[in-house]
Amino acid sequence: MGRGEGGLTLDATAPEAAAPARRRRRRFDLTTPALLAPPVSWLAVFFLAPVVYVALYSFNVLALPPQATGFSVSAWHALIHGGVYLSLFWKSVQMSLLVSALVVVVAYPLAYFLALSGTPRKYILLLLLIAPFLTSYLLRVLAWKVILGDHGVINTFLSWVGLRSAEHPLSFLLYSRFAVMLVLGYVWLPFVALPIFVTLESLDRKLLEAASDLYASRLQAFVRVTLPLSMSGVVAAFLFVFIPTVGEFVTPTLVGGTSGYMYGNQIHDLFNSGFPDWQIGATLSLFLLGVVAALTLVFIRFLRVGEARAA
Amino acid sequence: MDVALSPSGRRVIRVFFGLVLVFLYAPIVLLLLFSFNRASVPAFPLSGFTLRWYEDFLHNGEMRAALETSAIVAVLSSVIAVVLGILASLALTRRPFRGKGLVTALLLTPLVIPLIVLGISLLLLFHQFGIQLSILTVAVGHVVISVPYTILVLLPRLAQIDRALAEAAYDLGAGPWQTFRWVTLPLILPAIVSAFLIAFTTSYDEYAVASFLIGARETFPIYLYSQLRFPDKLPQVIAVAVLVLLLSIFVIVAAEVWRRRAEARLEAPA
Amino acid sequence: MDVEREPFDRKLSRKEMLRLAGFAAGVTVVAGPAAACGAAAKHASTTTAKETGQLRVLDWAGYCNDMPHHATYTEYLRKYPENKPQYTFMTNESDALGKIRGGLKVDLFRPYVGWVEYFATSGLVEPWTTSLISNFKQLNPFMIKAGQYQGKQYGIPDDWGFDAVLYRSDKVKPTAESWGLIFDERYAGKIAWFDDLEMITIAGMHLGATDPWNQTSAEQDKSRSFLISKKHLARTFWSSETDLWQSFGSGDIWIAYAWPNDWVQMKAKGLPVVYMHPSVGKEKPIAWVGMFMLLKETPRPKAAHAYVDAWSAKKSAVWLENNYGYGHANTEARPTSSDLLNALQLTNPHAVGLPNAYLDRNIDQRATYARLWEEVKAA
Repeated sequence: MGRGEGGLTLDATAPEAAAPARRRRRRFDLTTPALLAPPVSWLAVFFLAPVVYVALYSFNVLALPPQATGFSVSAWHALIHGGVYLSLFWKSVQMSLLVSALVVVVAYPLAYFLALSGTPRKYILLLLLIAPFLTSYLLRVLAWKVILGDHGVINTFLSWVGLRSAEHPLSFLLYSRFAVMLVLGYVWLPFVALPIFVTLESLDRKLLEAASDLYASRLQAFVRVTLPLSMSGVVAAFLFVFIPTVGEFVTPTLVGGTSGYMYGNQIHDLFNSGFPDWQIGATLSLFLLGVVAALTLVFIRFLRVGEARAA
Repeated sequence: MDVALSPSGRRVIRVFFGLVLVFLYAPIVLLLLFSFNRASVPAFPLSGFTLRWYEDFLHNGEMRAALETSAIVAVLSSVIAVVLGILASLALTRRPFRGKGLVTALLLTPLVIPLIVLGISLLLLFHQFGIQLSILTVAVGHVVISVPYTILVLLPRLAQIDRALAEAAYDLGAGPWQTFRWVTLPLILPAIVSAFLIAFTTSYDEYAVASFLIGARETFPIYLYSQLRFPDKLPQVIAVAVLVLLLSIFVIVAAEVWRRRAEARLEAPA
Repeated sequence: MDVEREPFDRKLSRKEMLRLAGFAAGVTVVAGPAAACGAAAKHASTTTAKETGQLRVLDWAGYCNDMPHHATYTEYLRKYPENKPQYTFMTNESDALGKIRGGLKVDLFRPYVGWVEYFATSGLVEPWTTSLISNFKQLNPFMIKAGQYQGKQYGIPDDWGFDAVLYRSDKVKPTAESWGLIFDERYAGKIAWFDDLEMITIAGMHLGATDPWNQTSAEQDKSRSFLISKKHLARTFWSSETDLWQSFGSGDIWIAYAWPNDWVQMKAKGLPVVYMHPSVGKEKPIAWVGMFMLLKETPRPKAAHAYVDAWSAKKSAVWLENNYGYGHANTEARPTSSDLLNALQLTNPHAVGLPNAYLDRNIDQRATYARLWEEVKAA
């Protein structure tokens, strides 16, 4: 925190300013918890506490009537041994992994260009890249629904131009796993460029110059310097896409059809629109949360180790 | 010579960048196109220009009610999120304290939680305490989602501000609130506006969490979702979708540009 | 809602409206219009001295009140001109169950006959006082009986129709009048199923289970595996009729599980469609009857009864039949079209029973069926 922080320490240690500094220090010590109290308590009540309730429902300590309450691991048993939920989870994980990997691969060159090419319009271009993400999710999914249908934009265009007959539209475009992955990738691409951009921007150009002084080619410089140093951004970007998409249910409902049904849909059906089963639904949610939390911790550990090694 | 990119590399990536931008904006442009299309089904070939769908939308009371409801929820949740974000950022830019990492992690975690888990967990909480679902419950959920974004905008800005300014204020006898009000606040005002806008657009467009927490009054995304199943409503929906989309893009871009200019101006005398 | 729509559009929406308003007196609730409806009636007072507050109805998809005539409950509005009902939307009975258990407060809703026993024993509803329903005596006695549980009138019948198979006669040549058509390998990707645990019942019936509504574990397993093996043939599982109309009307779907109204809609679009009643072996269509049910301890029982009464009236019934392709329990109501009369066998008071169709009934193991259906979807 630069100058400011230094100034503070100086005041704190200077004996001449002892009295006012002591007063100031005490005030600061009180205000930090006071400042943190509202945001932390809001999140504690509306973010952490609800998760506790999810756990309570998943173990049937609380239950939706007419189910009788009483600690039970039957839902967990169904999850782990039933086979159905886990395979659906695995299917969703596979789809998310693919989407996330593709999106990161596409976003990397974009962020690289913005951060390292020295283009003067970099912020406006970055903004243009990110802006769609900040607009309506539903509307962007709707746009694709309109584009991909049997009688949607692509297919009517193809038949208008004569490349395909109207009787044989490309059916796999909509109501398929392909549609879900395409739309999810489309939705998250803008967001993903940001973390990679931030890491690349903070890259010390001198390292690259040093590499070229040592007769490394640009490719070598990239592989040995840039890529490793930007790994934290890449990993962050990957997580930023992967985690939300594993639990996705809106896009699969709108464009997934019967084969694009994902883990998030299963959870959604158990609370809304399907025969209610809050116990299983809570269990599936908790499982998802657990996997996500574990993944995040693993990646953060990996990042710390990576950074330590790189430093 | 450019150590990062060769001239041909530059050209290739520039083209790639252009293609990606086309890919990102093409569906939006297509929606725009079809919002003026006479046919009620969005398909090629185009069948003529009309403003009818925009007119229809203007007469659509349900849609306007949903837009209003969303605005109320968005304003409510954004104001709260920004206030919480300011408080958190102020605390986090102070001297490091024990547990700072943990607190930061807590405050930023909603970014990575799958929205379905957030929606369901809040549903269960409200159900347990007999709280009736309404726009207030939706707003509560949206605050949780928006706080990380506000912190991510405000924190860097606060850290950037020269602490010596605040110190000077204290030396002159100003209390903490006065320092904040007259020194810090004006300096972070552009960031506050930015944070508010981000929180606003996040809340306005949010569907997943809202779908679990909504009561009788619909927000716009909920209304939109329910209309997607009515084919004769689709053109109107597309018309308003286009308007909302373009407006959000414009607002975001304009706000960011303004923020940068304002902050640059604020830094200039120093 | 805009008034100057094409006649075709208006007819479509009226049909949707019909679906909603028609049979169930209480429950048709539409989330979308709820805001408008809610806002309008919030400041209204009811005409009865004791009851206050707006009548809240949970019903199937469609619109509330957007039609100026409110044809299916005009008499209710005559009695309670300032208490326009506030609607909430249910996708199906499971959804309604989840919403009500989850805390949604409504006065009445409209599940179908197969759920009467379930809700009657759930503790969520109470029986109607039939003396308060003036049109009760005009209702079909067979259907009235179906709405009773242990002698009490839990459900007031309103609309009725069938679950059967709708297909395009120009594209599809069925080998038999059977449910097998929605499992036909020849038409992969052109089929739509219904997104509900009822598919387990249908699969059971097609596979020859003794009692499709109460299948043994072995039969349940067979039904589930069968559905999973055939899932790739279905392009979508529809949950709201407009989804079906959109896909069927645009030619994405040629074969679907459908209700008579869907047949009427597709015919209106000019498509050559056939509504096939399965009749091979023990197969038959499933008949359903909408049942208004009264939520326990509702603060507005008189308004609720009046609403149901309006729905049961002959005029409402005729309007429904004319515009919706469903029958109505009111035996004195006859649609103006005789084609419709014949197609629905509206002069036959036992049209919803054997030997014509299997009346939908209670599934004792409903939660199990629900889980099986979820497993089919997840597979």
